[in-house]
Amino acid sequence: MKVTINKEENKYNVILEGRLDTTNANQFQEDIAPLMEGANPDITLDCTAMEYTSSQGLRMFLMLQKSVNARSGKMVMTNMKPQVKEVFDITGFSNIIKIL
Amino acid sequence: MKKTFVPIKDKCGEIVEFIMSTPEMPAQEDLLFKIRLSVEEVVENVVQYAYANGDGFLGVETETDGNGLLTITLTDAGKPFDPLAKDDPDITLSAEERQIGGLGIFLTKQMMDEVRYKYENGCNILTLKKQCS
Repeated sequence: MKVTINKEENKYNVILEGRLDTTNANQFQEDIAPLMEGANPDITLDCTAMEYTSSQGLRMFLMLQKSVNARSGKMVMTNMKPQVKEVFDITGFSNIIKIL
Repeated sequence: MKKTFVPIKDKCGEIVEFIMSTPEMPAQEDLLFKIRLSVEEVVENVVQYAYANGDGFLGVETETDGNGLLTITLTDAGKPFDPLAKDDPDITLSAEERQIGGLGIFLTKQMMDEVRYKYENGCNILTLKKQCS
């Protein structure tokens, strides 16, 4: 999973590319560390090129959402592929993470 | 196809790739996505938790019957563990209330047509079935 973070003040535009699974979940956690700090973050995760996520990936997104909520921020995931979206739907994550 | 992996520590990726490259796998991408997700969750479970002290084997077998029903069987001799015994996570809870774990086997049950567990002759045997035609 390639993570590119573009930051402007409290706005983060994050491009996610590739697969998020058990082999790279730890690396992903390190890559998104900059998103876990700062007040009122406004985060957009561009999922156009995200191919796959396992339950480990879901855990990371839940952790990030909780952190964002705790800092009175907002987060949205955009352009998710249908098969990836299905994983978020089945697990109820579509109800706790905003997906556009 | 049938193969036994030993040792299995840190071999999750390799085992998943083997299963996904067997000739029994369907061609349809949406099915492959669901199978890969399920296989990764259950293989990871065994690799991480079956052999708490040391290491052991994981046997995998893929089969199809004449009607396109795919069966994937995982066998390990680790500590007895029924992944299906756990309650499903409550998917209506808010982010704050949601627990971090328990999602993997739930996803597997949703993605597969059938998931069965039995403990036999000292082995955990987990069977996943998916209709592929």
